[in-house]
Amino acid sequence: MASSISATAASEPEHSTKEREEEENATATRAAEDEDTGAQVAPIVKLEEVAVSTGEEDEDAILDLKAKLYRFDKEGNQWKERGVGTVKLLKHKESAKVRLVFRQSKTLKICANHLVLPTINVQEHQGNDKSCLWHAADFADGELKDELFCIRFPSVENCKTFKETVEEVAETQGKKAESKDAADAAGLIEKLSVEDSKKEEKEEEEVPVAAKEVTKTTDDKVKAEVEKDEPASSA
Amino acid sequence: MALPNQQTVDYPSFKLVIVGDGGTGKTTFVKRHLTGEFEKKYEPTIGVEVPPLDFFTNCGKIRFYCWDTAGQEKFGGLRDGYYIHGQCAIIMFDVTARLTYKNVPTWHRDLCRVCENIPIVLCGNKVDVKNRQVKAKQVTFHRKKNLQYYEISAKSNYNFEKPFLYLARKLAGDPNLHFVETPALAPPEVPIDLAAQAQHEAELAAAASQPLPDDDDDAFE
Repeated sequence: MASSISATAASEPEHSTKEREEEENATATRAAEDEDTGAQVAPIVKLEEVAVSTGEEDEDAILDLKAKLYRFDKEGNQWKERGVGTVKLLKHKESAKVRLVFRQSKTLKICANHLVLPTINVQEHQGNDKSCLWHAADFADGELKDELFCIRFPSVENCKTFKETVEEVAETQGKKAESKDAADAAGLIEKLSVEDSKKEEKEEEEVPVAAKEVTKTTDDKVKAEVEKDEPASSA
Repeated sequence: MALPNQQTVDYPSFKLVIVGDGGTGKTTFVKRHLTGEFEKKYEPTIGVEVPPLDFFTNCGKIRFYCWDTAGQEKFGGLRDGYYIHGQCAIIMFDVTARLTYKNVPTWHRDLCRVCENIPIVLCGNKVDVKNRQVKAKQVTFHRKKNLQYYEISAKSNYNFEKPFLYLARKLAGDPNLHFVETPALAPPEVPIDLAAQAQHEAELAAAASQPLPDDDDDAFE
């Protein structure tokens, strides 16, 4: 699982006629675009450079592919575009939990962000063999929302790779959950029999929590500093 | 500036006024940024809509309140009110409809009457369409009036981030400002609900046969 599957030149979509035309049309203004023809205007805010975080620092990408994401609009009974960019499967370095993150290219905004649960069911799209779909409790907007997602890849191979990798992850996560249940049960028996070991176990359990809190405090501090440095809203 | 009943935020926010003839794609462009969707159906904007649009930059998070105005005269009316306290603007025209480019000077004049010395981007939208009526070379208004010009396509996402990036750089006076990854927060644990899961499976099965809106399109950038 350590190997990262990334979009290579082979999986890059070929330039379509449409893109070429766009290109040609744009060539005339390309120079003008790079050149700033705008008037000199005085800036209205002073912004300081801040520490940036992708939120993915503690994870390894086990899959990284270009794709197009859709969400299902239940009211309109139709698929709607959500973004064009990159889908990643990110495995946490410590917890080994895997999540799916989809980012829009250019603006780098998040279009999907959810855990890959053992129960995830990836299905093929009936009319498009480069696409597949699944359900998730998605956290892209910072709140959990039930979503049906569909993803479309430039090639059938990439779609297959994606589907297989998700299924593999789901299976691993399922096993992990089972073994955790078993460990918990074993732990419970031990706790019942040995008082001291119960205490030790508890201490051990507390470590990650404390570590998490440290990270959080640092984050808060950074955030507080950022807020302090920011000028008052100009609105 | 937000609407009076709209939530304000603790990071820099700017009132962006978007003008241009009806049907040039102002609402579609904003919607594309908001949800990712591309609305083909034309429903004229009535009055004004002010969706907030956030971007993460190397200088922190910023917000544009997008004053998406009605381009159609008959739905307009309070136009000067829309412009007041505008801090930046986008003037949109449709490269497949010559008249919308001819009307750009009128939009520019109306805008500048109320908003002096604000950064303005002229956007020629729908450059993905084959039969253009306004060729790139014919667009010269921005040079006369010192505007920035971008050819864009809300459909193909061509240059779709550029207007916002340009405005952000001007508003902050920082030519090196750039977009950075929005932090991907850790999603919380979700308890597995078997009953709900059965429902999701049924929905999934139904959705699997619904066509994708842009099946033929092959742009993955």
